Amino acid sequence: MLEQITRVMFWLCVGEIVAKSGLLPLPAPVTGLILLYAELAVRGKLPDDLGVLADRLLQFLGMLFVPAGVGVLAFLDMLKAEAAPILAAVIGGTAITLFVTAIVANRFGAMRSKSKEQKPEQLEGLARDVNS
Amino acid sequence: MSTLSHLTQLTWAGLADKPVLETGATVFAFSAAMRISRLSGNHPLLNPTLLAIIFISFGLEATHIPYEVYLRGADAIHFMLGPAVVLLAVPLFRQGALIRSSGRLIAVGLAAGLPVGILSAVGIAWTLGASSQTMLSLAPKSVTAGIAVGISEQIGGLQTLTIVLVIMTGITGAVLGPIVARLARVEDPRVIGLTMGIASHGIGTARALQISEVAGAFSGLGMGLNGVLTAILLPVIFRLV
Repeated sequence: MLEQITRVMFWLCVGEIVAKSGLLPLPAPVTGLILLYAELAVRGKLPDDLGVLADRLLQFLGMLFVPAGVGVLAFLDMLKAEAAPILAAVIGGTAITLFVTAIVANRFGAMRSKSKEQKPEQLEGLARDVNS
Repeated sequence: MSTLSHLTQLTWAGLADKPVLETGATVFAFSAAMRISRLSGNHPLLNPTLLAIIFISFGLEATHIPYEVYLRGADAIHFMLGPAVVLLAVPLFRQGALIRSSGRLIAVGLAAGLPVGILSAVGIAWTLGASSQTMLSLAPKSVTAGIAVGISEQIGGLQTLTIVLVIMTGITGAVLGPIVARLARVEDPRVIGLTMGIASHGIGTARALQISEVAGAFSGLGMGLNGVLTAILLPVIFRLV
């Protein structure tokens, strides 16, 4: 397990170096995600402990945003002057984005699955999903 | 009595100097929020992240602990976001075959969600007479915070405002995502995840992971691709305008 924690920290650290050096305009965790994925793709298999670690930590992913969310409350004064346009843009804009993306992607997905039968790996993925 | 005088320092504000109280309270608030969310059958409006934020803010109000003190103490939890985002590679790897066979679906989702995410927010703000700095700060609102801050700086927005807007967007998307999916009659977990990741980055992804691993993997992918592509495209578009 410690080896897997080290692996995650290692890629995060590489991401940090990339971000600091200005090579890519990406934050360290995003670079780390890409590099860890690349490593797994090259190895072709997932170490058991890494899977356990991811499942455990990602179960609480929502908790890790709580301090940032509380931090927003400290800055609400910033929004006072333009509260109405900002709230409308954030809530309305997000609702529109969700609606348009969901409908467009769903139409396309339905069109594709109608035009040809579902691939076996798709069903496999969905079956695992149901079982989890 | 004088030997006990040190106990008088034991006030909430005194305890708050140690990160134990802040981290403990955050974990406790979130576990209570998770329980409520589960009891309600994961009702979208009872989003655990949103509930925990509300609990903590009431707690801070009641104990007179300033936000800054809480944020300093809860930094250990905030720090864990980095490793957690790196670990999103795991569901992506597990769903690799499904992702590879869904390449066009992902491209179509991004082609719709990326421009609509920017234009809907900026358009609404412009219609309601927001200042140009607010509109620039709003433009990258659907992108994960670390990338959005960089974009905001490049195009002339206010970085702090952008972070606030990004987090508000994440919570809004996490709450509205499952509701929109039901209204739009979307049942494909790939589409639900992709949509939530594109519209509401990591906070949406946290909610998508509650739905299923497929939804979570596609959400993480939507977040990553939308972030990287927006970082490349948005500054170019703004230079042209």
